[in-house]
Amino acid sequence: MTSRFAPGPGSAGWLLRHELRLAWYNASSSKSKGGVRRPGFGTIATIALVWLALHVVGWFAMGNLGTMASSDPRVLLVVSAMLIASATFMLSSAIKSSVLTLFERGDLDLLLSSPLPSRSIFTVRLAGVATSTAGIHLFFLAPFAHAALLHGQARWMGVYPALIGIAVLCACGAMLMTLGLVRLIGARRTRVLAQVIGALAGALLVIASQSYSLFADRWQGRGQEILRGMLEHGGMLSADSALWLPARALMGDGGPVLALAALALVAFAITARQTHRFFTVGLQLSASTGATAPAKNASAPRPRFGRSLFHTVVLKEWRLIVRDPHLISQVLLQLLYLVPLCFVVFRDNGVRMPAIGAGLTLLASSLTASLAWIALSAEDAPDLLLVSPASARALRRAKLAAAVMPVLLLVGLPLLWLVARSPLAGLVLCFTASSAVLGAGMIVFWCGRPGVRGNFKARGKGGFLMNMLELLNSLGWGALAWLLADATLARPSGMSALGASAAFVVVMLTLASAWLIGRSRDRAV
Amino acid sequence: MDDLSTSAAPALRLHGLHKGFGRPAVDGLDLTVRRGELYALLGPNGAGKTTTLRLITGLLAPDAGTIDVLGVDMLTAPAAAKMKMAYLPDEPLLYAKLKPYEYLEFVAGLWGVRAEVAAPRARELLDWLDLSQHAHELTEGFSRGMKQKLALAGALIHQPELLILDEPLTGLDAAAARQVKDLLLSHVAAGGSVILTTHILEVAERLAQRIGIIRAGQLIAEGTLDQLRQRTQGGSLEDVFLQLTATP
Repeated sequence: MTSRFAPGPGSAGWLLRHELRLAWYNASSSKSKGGVRRPGFGTIATIALVWLALHVVGWFAMGNLGTMASSDPRVLLVVSAMLIASATFMLSSAIKSSVLTLFERGDLDLLLSSPLPSRSIFTVRLAGVATSTAGIHLFFLAPFAHAALLHGQARWMGVYPALIGIAVLCACGAMLMTLGLVRLIGARRTRVLAQVIGALAGALLVIASQSYSLFADRWQGRGQEILRGMLEHGGMLSADSALWLPARALMGDGGPVLALAALALVAFAITARQTHRFFTVGLQLSASTGATAPAKNASAPRPRFGRSLFHTVVLKEWRLIVRDPHLISQVLLQLLYLVPLCFVVFRDNGVRMPAIGAGLTLLASSLTASLAWIALSAEDAPDLLLVSPASARALRRAKLAAAVMPVLLLVGLPLLWLVARSPLAGLVLCFTASSAVLGAGMIVFWCGRPGVRGNFKARGKGGFLMNMLELLNSLGWGALAWLLADATLARPSGMSALGASAAFVVVMLTLASAWLIGRSRDRAV
Repeated sequence: MDDLSTSAAPALRLHGLHKGFGRPAVDGLDLTVRRGELYALLGPNGAGKTTTLRLITGLLAPDAGTIDVLGVDMLTAPAAAKMKMAYLPDEPLLYAKLKPYEYLEFVAGLWGVRAEVAAPRARELLDWLDLSQHAHELTEGFSRGMKQKLALAGALIHQPELLILDEPLTGLDAAAARQVKDLLLSHVAAGGSVILTTHILEVAERLAQRIGIIRAGQLIAEGTLDQLRQRTQGGSLEDVFLQLTATP
């Protein structure tokens, strides 16, 4: 039965309802028994409990913080920093959503071939990107506003218009950026670039926060002096500065709230009105993602047949990885998150060899696990390998080598530097890093389950046991690297010997468990 | 094409083949494909055609029965049997980030084909299938037909004696379909053998020397088109097929 208030078929409201329904179905990563994706009761209950818990935290937090004055530039500074962080994540999330909307075209062919005006489609898609962008931030921040309201501080309800306004601006910016990039560099490259930007945005935020905390002590005196001057009346960051408008909007100041809402509305209207054609052109270009690219090099390719099976497989794995920038960006993101570790290691102008060794060991192990999963578990054409006469074991060995070799090469140079600096400790670290690499590879070799290359980010969800074994392998070898390097550089103590023994036992047990799991699986097959 | 016929054993012999997934998918199947023959395996959806092909290629293990490929027992000597055959599923087995020559290099490497054989063969196949001008492009940008043709080139790179094709013409345009059909006829003319499944009855009618019709995992009829017509009192292959596969 159709509700009296239900939007008419083909209207923007009707389309929005369709979008929201799809978003709801896709909100769960698990499949129901009927095969339809939608959050189950457990998921909804968990979300509700977390939301209630956030209200409790908000009640205690906003009891004191709720009365903060929006005229204090120090408060505005903190709120602005929080907003910048949120906006960065929003932009990242909006770019990803835009790319998804533009490129993962499950239903757009159907919509664009229908009599619906493309402007409606674009408006609804833009609204969908803005809603999904704002949703997660409102989920975490709105409980604090509700708690403040209960404390009698209604102005914090400005969180709603402020976050929604910023989300709309981010969505407009992200959509325009995506469409502009499509025109400039083509759909395929835009897809990669947007995904890399999205991935890097989050990582850079982590690095920035780590860098600040690490360098804060050095900057404390001079930095505080400069900041104090800027915050004083008449300074660049005084209370009446326009830079604080978003923060003041979040804190419920009427003027800034209205200004931000108006800006967001205007941006949305202009984007929706002026760019729906651009959107359609972008889609047409995105449709050419699957089309053949023009030839860059007319010279005939030089095929090299006759390589050994090992070389053939290794080369194929490397080609597939190197030519997938999205995959590389996701793998290298792990390196990016380890950059803060470098700050720790090199701070105070001193080099901490055990820390470097442990860091390299962790890095090498983690990278190997990722590459081994790509090469061994995420085979694109498993049936081709199965119907070939090549031995499955030989193929898997070659794939393992393809995963291990680049990592050994990558950590080889810093390890050589460590050997030159302190031969004994360096050799110990070479041993632990190589062992961690081989261990990580063997765990995937024995326990890996088939996966899809495109699901690299979600690979952790697939196998809890394998993830635990990978983690234990990394941590075990990392601890062993630290303790053994420390023991060779300083006088070994009973505690460090005990710790090293325990770490060695952990990695051996981990590898033995992985081998047993693999063996039992082989027997089952 | 080189003459591929080397011994007297049939290209493929299935005997008492069984495979079940809860219910029988292939149920006591006996089937023989002769050397130099193109055999079309027809049947309604879910009849067990693809399961049969996957059993032959070793992608599935049978619950019972034997599979002989050119005199080699697939179950006891799978590597030797696989050396003699090639499989082309309905979804081409390709790598999106490889170029055609690189794909053929990889497949040739899997079958251990020597460079002096593989290189000219790859050129010949790509030329034949009109893919040479796309040799420098990644296959991710290929159309369905181009992908299917490249996968066929991969299947033929090691000059298999037995070709196993699952719906090889699905999604191909008329020109691509003609190229593939010509290639299959040429393979058979050179002494090679083909077993294929298809829903396009015209393909079976025009290409196949013998046709097998399978229903519920069992071979319910087999023979030349004329023999099948006689059995069902005439008509086109479509009439014959519909009569034979009608639910009793």
